[in-house]
Amino acid sequence: MIQFLLKGILRDKSRSILPIIVVSIGVALTVVLSAYMNGAFGDMIDQNARFETGHVKIMTKAYAKNIAQLPNDLALLEVDELTKSLEKDYPEMQWVNRIRFGGLIDVPDGQGESKGQGPAAGMAINLFDEKSGEAKRMNIEKSLVKGMMPKKNGEAIIGDDFAKKLNVNIGDEVTYFGTTMNGSMTFQNFVVSGTIRFGAAAIDRGVIMVDISDAQRMLDMENGTGELLGFSKLNIYEDEKVEFLASNFNEKYADDKDEFTPIMMPLRAQNNLGEIIDYSNYMSGIFIFIFVFAMSIVLWNTGLLGGLRRYQEFGIRLALGEAKGTIYRRLIMEAILIGMIGSIVGTLIGLAGAYYLQIVGIDISGYMDNSTMLMPSVLRAKVTFELFFIGFIPGLLAMVFGNMLSGIGIYKRETAQLFKELEV
Amino acid sequence: MKNGSIISIKNVTKRFPVGEGEFTALKNINLEFQSGEFAGLVGPSGSGKTTLLNIIGSLDSPTEGEALVLGKSISKLSHKESALLRNKHIGFIFQVYNLLPVYTVYENVEFALLLQNIPKVQRQKMVMEALDWVGLASMADKKPDKLSGGEGQRVAIARAIVKKPVIVIADEPSANLDAENTYAILKTMRELNKNLGTTFLFSTHDEKVMGHLDRIIHLRDGAVEEDEIINVKTLTK
Repeated sequence: MIQFLLKGILRDKSRSILPIIVVSIGVALTVVLSAYMNGAFGDMIDQNARFETGHVKIMTKAYAKNIAQLPNDLALLEVDELTKSLEKDYPEMQWVNRIRFGGLIDVPDGQGESKGQGPAAGMAINLFDEKSGEAKRMNIEKSLVKGMMPKKNGEAIIGDDFAKKLNVNIGDEVTYFGTTMNGSMTFQNFVVSGTIRFGAAAIDRGVIMVDISDAQRMLDMENGTGELLGFSKLNIYEDEKVEFLASNFNEKYADDKDEFTPIMMPLRAQNNLGEIIDYSNYMSGIFIFIFVFAMSIVLWNTGLLGGLRRYQEFGIRLALGEAKGTIYRRLIMEAILIGMIGSIVGTLIGLAGAYYLQIVGIDISGYMDNSTMLMPSVLRAKVTFELFFIGFIPGLLAMVFGNMLSGIGIYKRETAQLFKELEV
Repeated sequence: MKNGSIISIKNVTKRFPVGEGEFTALKNINLEFQSGEFAGLVGPSGSGKTTLLNIIGSLDSPTEGEALVLGKSISKLSHKESALLRNKHIGFIFQVYNLLPVYTVYENVEFALLLQNIPKVQRQKMVMEALDWVGLASMADKKPDKLSGGEGQRVAIARAIVKKPVIVIADEPSANLDAENTYAILKTMRELNKNLGTTFLFSTHDEKVMGHLDRIIHLRDGAVEEDEIINVKTLTK
């Protein structure tokens, strides 16, 4: 019987084309939007994790309270010991030191006079140890616009826009002016080995990146760090797992009133990322609900029209001895077949669109010039395995639901009128 | 129900609500049909022909009285049981052929068997046999829109008899046919009646059809005016 129904669907274009088009469009939109939202939110979360929050971040309680001011005077000390204990307790995570610091960059000319100055957002990471994975994690090599990665202490890379603003070239020396963790003034010369553009306006505007050991020396932070970031070794952010890890770590220090006690914050507790994660999940659900609802109404009407057009056919089938319930069930079966065809077509179209958006993306850099949010300047979709079936939910549900509503009419059909109806 | 009787209509009355009142379509009808009859209900419009066929075909039930078809009381059957009775034992031929336009001749005839879940190999045999009976085996792959009126009606006959029903109900089967095609389909039906023993019940006002019937039941204003046994044994053009 399924074969018989399928023949009818394929041959009777007016029975199948419109619903297939409606389902395909809805499914394609669902797939593209899901991919785009996953990609955009995922990129945003990933970029925040890589640049700022880690999957978890350990700081002192006092540092965490004043984090916006980057209070390195409240930094973690004896970090090597803490890291060893973390590696033992949480072997699935990789731990890296990060120091963020503010200050002024001065660019001297040949006579030692200042030819350019600007406020800098310093970031110190482990640039030299490959095992730390920091250079790779931050995609530094590929983000370089000019020059190369620092190879030795005393070298730095700075934001490309920043370099242009300060009129700095590769090989030029720049001087950092700032304060140590103890509050005294500090100066440090760096040779610019490269310029960089991460594609995040908040960073690109004034970044200077140096090796962590340079920053520790410069800021009097030997065996200290502002932030200790933890990343899953699989590089996959798992919300629940990380939440558990953080609460487990924090429990150990729950009774410690010392403001230098370490505290671990999961990604979702930083930079309002929790809201973004929840929003992303809600939005996916809302999109699917809207598509199911809107398509169900369209397909309900399509089903009603189809029911009118197939009035004669249903009459014949009733006369031939097909029960009303059987006709109704077969209508639903047809809806499932049409829904599946539409879902497959829509998924393929949606995947193609999602793939295109993954490669090309949508450039929002024009809107990000003055933004302080850490988010990518090109929002891209992300093709994931779930996209292969996510469209089937609205595709099949809407088609079946629409036809269930429209098919109810079959129960109102009076068999006693069949002869008269079929005379027409 | 008498011996050999497959349809027994006892004191059947059928009323329909019309506005605030009622219209009586059938008034105290009493009829018996034996297996293998070739009979017709004849009468002007509104005489109750279709209403009576509806009841015999388990498409409707009487308001009063009892209609027994193959031993089953029509008024006691549920919708599902009525459908099953039609599915297994009753074939229908309509004034308009009512073939499903997207399916081929073969598939239109096969549909009646699909409803009975008959296996494919057996279905193929039965469909080709039915198309042979009506002389359309060579047109199995054609779509209904490629058929002439007479051919369309013959496909409808094949669809009605492919499941070898005990009763075939034909409502004005010649209404859209010319004399030649009317003769051809009546000849086909007559042969099936003889060879398969199928009971044919017609509703008609076509004198060409009446001329071929063994029994003519004249209805007027919902009542049997005359039950005429003719005993025509051979068909003449």
